[in-house]
Amino acid sequence: MAVQWPLLIFSVLLGASSGVMIFLGIGEIKGSFKKVRFPLSLIALILLAVGGCASAMHLGHIDRALYILGNVGSAFSRELFAVGFTGLMTLVYVILARKDYPAASKVFGILAAIGGLLLPLIAGASYMMPARPAWDSFALPLMYLGTGIGMGFVLSAAYVYTKGDEADKPFSMKLATIGIICSIAVTLIYVIWIAIAPFPDPTRSFMRLAGGDLAAAFWLGVVLVGMGGPIAVLVMAKRVSLVDEDGKSGADDVVVASTDASGTATAEPAVGAAASKISTANALWGALACLVVGSVILRVIMYVVATSVEQLIY
Amino acid sequence: MTRHTMAIDLDSCIGCHSCAVVCKQENNVGLGTFYSKVLTIGPSGTYPDLEMYYLPVACQHCENPQCVSVCPTGASYKRDDGIVLVDHSKCVGCQYCVMACPYGVRTYDQAKDKGVIEKCTLCAHLVDDGKDPACVRHCPGQARIFGDADDPTSKVSELIASKKAHKLTDVGNKPSVTFGLDKCEWKGGE
Repeated sequence: MAVQWPLLIFSVLLGASSGVMIFLGIGEIKGSFKKVRFPLSLIALILLAVGGCASAMHLGHIDRALYILGNVGSAFSRELFAVGFTGLMTLVYVILARKDYPAASKVFGILAAIGGLLLPLIAGASYMMPARPAWDSFALPLMYLGTGIGMGFVLSAAYVYTKGDEADKPFSMKLATIGIICSIAVTLIYVIWIAIAPFPDPTRSFMRLAGGDLAAAFWLGVVLVGMGGPIAVLVMAKRVSLVDEDGKSGADDVVVASTDASGTATAEPAVGAAASKISTANALWGALACLVVGSVILRVIMYVVATSVEQLIY
Repeated sequence: MTRHTMAIDLDSCIGCHSCAVVCKQENNVGLGTFYSKVLTIGPSGTYPDLEMYYLPVACQHCENPQCVSVCPTGASYKRDDGIVLVDHSKCVGCQYCVMACPYGVRTYDQAKDKGVIEKCTLCAHLVDDGKDPACVRHCPGQARIFGDADDPTSKVSELIASKKAHKLTDVGNKPSVTFGLDKCEWKGGE
């Protein structure tokens, strides 16, 4: 079927928003990320709002939007309620994050995180239709959640490395690593589902991804950029930590890692640390860009392979 | 209880497309939009033993219509007599029903009534008036039979009983339209 761009943009933005709120929820439990919780939760709220507006562009008659309450059991309505709940919890958290109400912030941070955990699953589940074999699996909502966690965690870690407390950085990097692993894992699971989905057909086969008209999008967009890009960042970050242990320079960055090999950072620790602060953040922003590109292209593929069991008229 | 449905005798269908044309005329279907189409299946086999048949397709007015269950507004609904309809005044044009339909027989109409979903109504306005759908009345081969599937003496029940009956691929939606085909091998899913 044709790519539904408003829904695609919505799913990417809601995923990233949810990932950020899960990140902050974990931070609330652990007592971390106090300095960045307000701007990050505001970003999450804006992402969700922009995504919601984008999805509204998909409707033929937005003036009849209230009719959506006409069948509360439908997946679309459940999605709307989930967006409402998560958005409301996030809004309250944003307001509380501006002030100092630790207990209330913790409660609403966790509630928003729960909303963030459920929202991508509910949004993805609304596509589980027997008529479209490539969608009819829990692998799809899982893909929505996992790629969302990847984008949200890396976005949050990048922000922590840019504006956050020094003490929060190692933990944020750990979460970013988990997010990248989640994103890659669910991408693989979804591609496997496409390969094994019932009612096999060339239009929704793995061969179409591996060697057909979607090969360039799949290998370049999903595998190389969406999976390889963030992995490269992880590997470089690992190298940096080894350099840190050896050189004791405090440098924690990929660029410095390469320069460290020639001894620059160890010779000039202060300059190396300052440069590394910028570069590690940049590396994470780069990883985020890779994850966003990978997520968008994976969803483009998701729509293109979603042919119905019998496409008779249109 | 009445359960309106259609049975199509594919052995009698001559592929003239009259049903598609009169459907557009009767329902004022917009340019480029079809409620009903006639597909050519085949030819299949090896020369000189070739065979082909025509397959008229439209909404299958399923017993368990997925389009109805996914509709967020209740605009897509199923009447007690089995006919699946769209209330255009409630339709928000979200197109979930188009995605949920296994047969691709729903259209997002941007021509006639912009921003809503269009599909075969089984000419409910004529049926309510005690008449047959337009495609049934105008079929020159009398291949299309309309009637009550719950009445064993109805013409539609008789046709289903007298031929090898086939349905389009069922993914849990239970299509109600039956295709009778004896002279060729059915090429569709069941």
